[in-house]
Amino acid sequence: MKALLVSLFLLPLAALAQAPVIQISGANFRPLPLAVPAPVTVDDGGKKASAEFDETLMFDLRASGIFQVLDRAGFTADPKEGVTAGSINFSRWADVGAESLVKVQLGAEGGTLRGELRLFNVGTSREDFKVSHATPTAETRQLAHFLADALYRHLTRESSPFLSRITFVRKSGQNRDVWVADWDGANARAVTSGGINLLPALGPNGTVAFTSYRRGRPDLFIQPAGGEAKPLENSGQMATGISFSPDGKRIAYALAEGESTQLYVANADGSSPKRITETPYGINSSPAWSPDGKRLAFVSNRGGSPQIYVMNADGSSARRLTFQGNYNQTPDWSPRGDLIAFTARDERNAFDLFTVNADTGKITRLTQDQGNNEEPVFSPNGRLILFTSTRDGAPRLYVMTADGNNQLPLPMEKVSGLTPDWAQ
Amino acid sequence: MTLHPAVSQSMLAARPSRLGLFLGVSIAGHGLLLVFGLLYSYVTSGPRVDPNPPVIKATLVRQGKPRDQKLLPRKEELPPPPKEVKAPPAPPTQAPRPPEKLAVPVPGVKPEPKPAPQKGDTSAEDRRKRLFGAFDKTSKKAPDEELEGAEDGDPSGDSATAEGERYYALLSTQVRRNYNVADTIPEAERMYLKAQVKMRLGRAGEVLEASLSNASGNDQFDAAVVAAVKKASPFSPPPDHLRDPLQKHGVVLEFRP
Repeated sequence: MKALLVSLFLLPLAALAQAPVIQISGANFRPLPLAVPAPVTVDDGGKKASAEFDETLMFDLRASGIFQVLDRAGFTADPKEGVTAGSINFSRWADVGAESLVKVQLGAEGGTLRGELRLFNVGTSREDFKVSHATPTAETRQLAHFLADALYRHLTRESSPFLSRITFVRKSGQNRDVWVADWDGANARAVTSGGINLLPALGPNGTVAFTSYRRGRPDLFIQPAGGEAKPLENSGQMATGISFSPDGKRIAYALAEGESTQLYVANADGSSPKRITETPYGINSSPAWSPDGKRLAFVSNRGGSPQIYVMNADGSSARRLTFQGNYNQTPDWSPRGDLIAFTARDERNAFDLFTVNADTGKITRLTQDQGNNEEPVFSPNGRLILFTSTRDGAPRLYVMTADGNNQLPLPMEKVSGLTPDWAQ
Repeated sequence: MTLHPAVSQSMLAARPSRLGLFLGVSIAGHGLLLVFGLLYSYVTSGPRVDPNPPVIKATLVRQGKPRDQKLLPRKEELPPPPKEVKAPPAPPTQAPRPPEKLAVPVPGVKPEPKPAPQKGDTSAEDRRKRLFGAFDKTSKKAPDEELEGAEDGDPSGDSATAEGERYYALLSTQVRRNYNVADTIPEAERMYLKAQVKMRLGRAGEVLEASLSNASGNDQFDAAVVAAVKKASPFSPPPDHLRDPLQKHGVVLEFRP
């Protein structure tokens, strides 16, 4: 009884002493303010590689869309500051608005370039992450991509786009050649030499497929990494728009037959082709696989104007997805599954990029009032979109986040880039 | 044998009492009520539902010709940047003139005339005073802005509870304005994040202590919520009845994305 009385007396007191809890939600998600001072070099070899390394790393971080890389001009920290937590004056970095700080140290030994990247939390003055890697001196850019990728993985637990590859078509005179490059357009190498080669797609193990006029009519060719391009069997009259399924085992493409163009699905080597659309006099083209490989988005004019449709990979259950605009084309399905990006001509006759939600059909505009923007393709992790834009004159490759923010040109010297594709 | 009536009415005469029984029944009854209350609350409590309100996005449509629904959407012009966030005004009712002289200014109390800032006069205490002085000036505009958001309030709103909650709502609004979280946090992880920050407030609304009392497990998120509290400070001075509890026990802010 005594205990009961005591507890009866004390309970309200305990309740009074407890602090009230206020719930707060609705966070404003935004890129992480990140300070990245120039790399610290420990020797001449490191100094030599520093500029190229820095340029590569900075583009990766800036274009990633998840960082707000702060302008170095505003930095107030001592340029000779060290790279360990004990030697860093974190209040200087907090003053310029940085929430995280990346420090890189570069050094070269013989023909090997070694880089060490550290991530610090400015708020806690603590080192959160450290990674080091070495590459041959000639592969400075790869070292930067590798370290940026490790940082990205640490923070997001997702693979970054920094180690992925892109393919695109480059004009030179009358020729159109297929090129393959690192994600930032560097290390570009031609896959074809001369003639008209179009609409490239990246497949598994470095395979590139494209449409080529080398036999006088548009045929599909598949070129394994380091091998010769081989034409696909049964290429019909005019084959275009090849697309590899996410597992790389199947391909989808469009074949012109008489007055219509129909879609086909076949094994990756072109065997066992199966027609999956049946629209007499209609055009079906630009197939794009869903990330689970069970569905395809494509363009069809069966409703009168080119619109985006989706159907099962066996051709069943086709349904129209876009009802706005009268010229919608070049769909690409996000690896996250929710969105399909496409090019549309709006009422001002400008080509711009949009996404449509594959389930709800809701359309969102990504580009506006900046030249023509076409041919969107998602990064392998679905966070970025690569596209061509004429905002600076000739069509060049640009990258932006999947919601249309942070639009940046790839750092390629004023060279054209058309119909890109992107793969890990 | 019968007692004399005078004896039977005497206060001094011992007679059998039922007080013990009454007390026993009373305690047992209260005990039963307590047990019943506890049982009832246990049975009816069920799983706690977090009443996080869904995000409501509201836009006011312009007057004009409606856009053809068959046309593709256009991006809206960006709205003008939001005004600089100022500390919310303090309700005038919460600031009766305290008889004693306070070290820090509170609304309603005229700030002491400050000497013009002089070079070299930069001790921490001076800077703090100046900051609160400036803050106090902004709170003088309170009467105009006081009406904002009062629709859901109680018109007579002078009870302690209502005032306390109102102050907590002010805290929450001010923190939410600074609640910025890095995009680097994976989307799959966002729905599970929950962190608590314990905060103690001084008499003038300054943050005496803000520390993570319950971490989310994600360093970035934890850092962001602590930063949100620090950026949101100083707050407006707490009303009288909350000053002591906020100073001694503080308040816990529970953050979810």
